[in-house]
Amino acid sequence: MHPNPQLFERVLTRALGAGDFADAFYERRVVRSFRLQDGRIHEAGISVVSGIGIRVISGERAGYAHSDDLSERALLETARVATLIAKGAARTDTMRLASQPDRPPSVYGDSGDASRAATSAEYVDLLSRADIAARAADPRVRTVNASVSCEIQEVVIATSDGRYVTDRRPLVSLAVQCTADGTVRGTGFSGDGGRSGLEIFLERTPEQLAREAARIACVNSDARETPAGEFEVIVGAGSGGVLLHEAVGHGLEGDFNRQGTSLYSGRVGERVASELVTIYDDGNLPGERGSLSVDDEGTPGQHKVLVENGILRGYMHDRLNAHLMGTVSTGSGRRQSFRVMPQPRMCNTYMPSGDATPEEIVKSVKRGIFATSFAGGQVEISKGDFVFMLAEGYLIEDGKLTAPLRGASLSGNGPEVMNRVTMVGNDARLASRHYTCGKGGQYVPVGVGMPTVKLSGVTVGGSGVGG
Amino acid sequence: MEAELEIARDVVGLAKRAGAQEAEATFVVARRFSTEARGREIAKLEQSVGRSLTLRVFVARAKASLATTDFSREALESFVREAVDAARFVHGDEFGGLPELPQTLRSDAGLGMYAEDVASRTPEAKIGDALELESIARATSPRIVNSGGSRVFDASITLALANSNDFAHAYRASSATIWSSPIAQDGAAKLTGHYGSASRSYATLEAVGAVASKAAHRALGLIGARKPATMRCPVIFDRDVASSVLGDIFSAVSAANVALGNSFLLEKVGERIGSEFATIVDDGTLPHALGTSPFDAEGVPTGRTPVLERGVLRSFLYDTYYGRKLGAASTGNASGGGIGPNNFYLEAGRRTPEELVAATPRGVFVTETIGFATESVTGTYSRGARGYYIENGEIAYPIDEFTIAGNFLEMLAGIDAVASDLVFDQSIVSPTFRVAEMTVG
Repeated sequence: MHPNPQLFERVLTRALGAGDFADAFYERRVVRSFRLQDGRIHEAGISVVSGIGIRVISGERAGYAHSDDLSERALLETARVATLIAKGAARTDTMRLASQPDRPPSVYGDSGDASRAATSAEYVDLLSRADIAARAADPRVRTVNASVSCEIQEVVIATSDGRYVTDRRPLVSLAVQCTADGTVRGTGFSGDGGRSGLEIFLERTPEQLAREAARIACVNSDARETPAGEFEVIVGAGSGGVLLHEAVGHGLEGDFNRQGTSLYSGRVGERVASELVTIYDDGNLPGERGSLSVDDEGTPGQHKVLVENGILRGYMHDRLNAHLMGTVSTGSGRRQSFRVMPQPRMCNTYMPSGDATPEEIVKSVKRGIFATSFAGGQVEISKGDFVFMLAEGYLIEDGKLTAPLRGASLSGNGPEVMNRVTMVGNDARLASRHYTCGKGGQYVPVGVGMPTVKLSGVTVGGSGVGG
Repeated sequence: MEAELEIARDVVGLAKRAGAQEAEATFVVARRFSTEARGREIAKLEQSVGRSLTLRVFVARAKASLATTDFSREALESFVREAVDAARFVHGDEFGGLPELPQTLRSDAGLGMYAEDVASRTPEAKIGDALELESIARATSPRIVNSGGSRVFDASITLALANSNDFAHAYRASSATIWSSPIAQDGAAKLTGHYGSASRSYATLEAVGAVASKAAHRALGLIGARKPATMRCPVIFDRDVASSVLGDIFSAVSAANVALGNSFLLEKVGERIGSEFATIVDDGTLPHALGTSPFDAEGVPTGRTPVLERGVLRSFLYDTYYGRKLGAASTGNASGGGIGPNNFYLEAGRRTPEELVAATPRGVFVTETIGFATESVTGTYSRGARGYYIENGEIAYPIDEFTIAGNFLEMLAGIDAVASDLVFDQSIVSPTFRVAEMTVG
């Protein structure tokens, strides 16, 4: 049970003290999961996260405290600790909230009906089907691991300026990981799900996921070492969006730009990428992992234009950074749990389609690398240097995909690479739903997407010298 | 600590009454403080006490787990019942179940895990440290123009572990960290340097001034970096980067990965895989080290396990389940439902990092890497990197935007010098070391 509005009012009144703004974030998140290993259901897990975080803002300073004890005594003490940071005269105004929290329109892919929780038998069935399909897909498949999880997060957000909102967020995930034995042992991963109920796996079936993981493992089991050097690189549609997320997205988060620590600080209106590059971040795409009816500060999810035809259009903001930069939140305030303050974060970051066909893009490359999908990436914000690891990739020779490659990483500098986008495909799509973004030790689900894109010069780190 | 133990025992009782044959509960109370300074101001101040409970239950040797922060009686009883019911959908596993534990436990008196000063030092003093880190870092050079913040954070925890075989023990532990991330301007580019110090006590941290100054010099040292040519050459791994390399080696010796075939060290126990400089140990008994504890997450006493001795692979690291599965005893490495390090480290050598550089005619000194992909099966290693080019035994100029690549087996075999700068400030640590030849480009 979450606190009633009167308790929220008392807690916020205590918290505001001498501050400019205070908010309370109540969360109750229940995650159920099962994991399969060696053809058997290996373990079951339940995770329950329940508590309230209280934040007080005073100028550029933020105080924070949280409590898993929801008693009035504990919450008032938590509010007192949070407000220690505020300077100046204590305020005497009393908060007033509506009698019921507002519930915004849902952007989630489920019916919003909490009455029917999935049974253990349903989870186990999904995993067993994935296991059978992966082993049947190819005789080279050696091991199969699979996991399924289903989460419901209920939040209530109350603020000292009278905002009082609730949201109920579903999130499911099914992931399959295979190894296959060829000339080397290859690994393959495939995952999907989103902000839906388990019914999403009626259309995105465990069999499809399992065959995809097995296929990638088999490709990688005959992959050769990647040559090192500078190459033309084609990034495949869908999961290639990890590139936008790392190389550009993080640098456009409001906190880095308010503090002047991002290389994109103070550059709205300037050219930051090839004119072929447009990047959106969207919190409203139905059922995507990064979608939010409201963010963790109660601001509705939005469609944001980050870069348009190569021109920087705007940043992603939470309330604190927006206020200090004289603008408004873009619905980007997100947090891992009630134990941490919100940060400006991405939701679903993607590039819309261009004009070229994927075929003509591949044909245009004499010798290069085709990066079908990435296993992950990382960026350094102040200078923009990034690295991505290939999950699946191929050598391109004379306009054709030839040998599969393993052990490759792509590295470079975000703005430099974005200026080297020379072709953009007409095949934009979102990646399958399994990405999670880490920032400052906080992990949140996100979405990425992209059309096929050609980059004219990227450093590829392989283990063989020369190309 | 009796109150915390009572809660752990109580939850074990709940699980037994719900039908679990075996149960193990861990209750942790953590008191945390964190502050961040930017410029002359405190930007953030966070203080909290958090409770968390984890429970493992076994029904016919099938396992389910519960992790919760909801301590209302009704919720606790309901979720414990649900975990026991979920275990009935899990396959019974002959290797599952609680460990056989010794009757007596070694005292944690000499382990130096808890320092009073972490909880007793005043918030004002900690805030003062953060502001001082920030001001010293910024005053180091006019080229330090900004910062990603200077942080002081700490935790004091009480951990109580009880199981249905009448094990019930608790310990206290503390940690304190100071950290600074100044930014230097290099033309249009911003360069961030990071440096920090962590310990069980505020009293044993590096001095605030030294931390701030090292962080600033890391940022300043990157000014004017060039991109190196592609080449094969010796690579020196600074101790922070070396620690991350040890992290990948830890994954490869974790019995969970070995059992899944997910390790480049499969079937190599007893073989010489590293050079004579490659001695790697996991030890949970080192006084004052941050990875030290009297027992692991299952109550198994920690000990000292030689993993690599002068290049010869001696042992993987096990919890109870994977020990039984692979025919070995637990090495006391159970952690958070999986296998984790105690103090996992590369044994130090005698020379300073500067002497290693001086003994390298031409090579690369790596101070930062980004990226984390390791092909755990093949042992392929590839990272984006920054650092310095070494010419005639001297640091010649900074370099960045390059990758270093190789294979862990080649790297272990290629370690030809290890420095003396080993510090136990994380669970996985390494001194600076040199690999004779890798691909840089």
